[in-house]
Amino acid sequence: MWRWLAEVAAVAVKDLRAEFRTRVAINSLALFALTTLAAVSYTIGPYRLADEDRPFLLSVLLWIVVFFAALAGLDRSFVKEEESHTAPLLRLAAAPTVVWAGKLLYNLCLIVILMAMLVPLFCILMGFKIVMVWHFVGLLAAGGFALAVTTTIVAAIIAQAMTRGALFSVLSLPLLLPLLIFLIQGTTAASTGDLEIFAESLRAVLSMAGIMTVVSAWLFPVVWSD
Amino acid sequence: MVSAVITGISISFSDLAKRYDLRVIFRSVSGEVLPGEVLVINGPNGSGKSTLMAILCGLLRPSRGEVRYRRQDGSIVPRDRWRRHLGVVAPAMAVYEELTALENLGFFVRVRGLSVGLEQQRRLLERVGLDPDRTTPVRGYSTGMAQRLKIAQALLHSPEVLFLDEPGSNLDPAGQDWLEGHVAELIEAGRTIVLATNDRREMGWGSRRVALAG
Repeated sequence: MWRWLAEVAAVAVKDLRAEFRTRVAINSLALFALTTLAAVSYTIGPYRLADEDRPFLLSVLLWIVVFFAALAGLDRSFVKEEESHTAPLLRLAAAPTVVWAGKLLYNLCLIVILMAMLVPLFCILMGFKIVMVWHFVGLLAAGGFALAVTTTIVAAIIAQAMTRGALFSVLSLPLLLPLLIFLIQGTTAASTGDLEIFAESLRAVLSMAGIMTVVSAWLFPVVWSD
Repeated sequence: MVSAVITGISISFSDLAKRYDLRVIFRSVSGEVLPGEVLVINGPNGSGKSTLMAILCGLLRPSRGEVRYRRQDGSIVPRDRWRRHLGVVAPAMAVYEELTALENLGFFVRVRGLSVGLEQQRRLLERVGLDPDRTTPVRGYSTGMAQRLKIAQALLHSPEVLFLDEPGSNLDPAGQDWLEGHVAELIEAGRTIVLATNDRREMGWGSRRVALAG
């Protein structure tokens, strides 16, 4: 088990090291997130929404920004391996489960960086008050994990296809849409302090994350091998 | 020096065919290579040398036929374990250009779960003619230097089976001489080598041959 974890960490560290030297994915994530955030905060700002609409509308805006920024940056992990012809050596060196878990860990790191940068900024610029802060942090963690699991397997699938750019969004949207709805519902509940709705949403998000993890772990070796 | 292999692996393949949709790459290819031997695959451009190599090392599945890895005690190595026993150098396989040579080797050591220390990795780089202290990422390497790193990567875990696809390409004369000497050491140590090449000098290393038609 420890050896497997060390191999997974090796894949993730390799990807992070390469990413911090080229900054392709991080720049895509940051550029999309900051541009969208700037546009939203400039046009809507903290005072243009009615008080009763604020929790729901700001939750929608927050997750739209996170969601599309993630789609802009997370499709690269496998495409890069194929385009730079490093995938065959990785296939020969590592077990498929190691590659899947390593790429998942790498995408998770990118999402954590994205959320750590974006969410506090969004809350400050938009005046978004969260009543249940720690609950909200838990929801962000669960949502980030579900987002990472889904984008990792979709990125692996599209890396084998010819029309990569369009396919990532086409495959991701139907898989992520239900998740997005529950994340918005949970964030609204965390903002208003509705514990019952929050718990319901968190359960749904965790269930989706669990299902996607099992399906991805089962599907990945088939996708990764020829 | 190459350490002697206690249990060599032989590879046999029969009636192999590969087609992509309606395009037939090759059909009815059979052969065998034993420990201490070099199987040379040659043929004109586009005849499927690299495809056959990819099938033999488990990266591709054949459309027909089968490949078997057999230990010297007669037992069969399952397909999902082939990768532990083989090293590959091929033009279509690259190392990570954002990392340095030593970082590349370090990554393959960790991801393969090997116990090859930093000093051994440095010695291996020196052996293939690269400076282990060079901090330039591989992106800044010449094609010959990148080829030397690919060879080091393939030798890292002292594999019983070595697949070499045009190994001398981009190497300078000194590099080609070193490669020839090292292949001779590997044969001596009982390694099984599969070599895809059209280079007359490299073809001379072979003890068996599969010629693919164009």
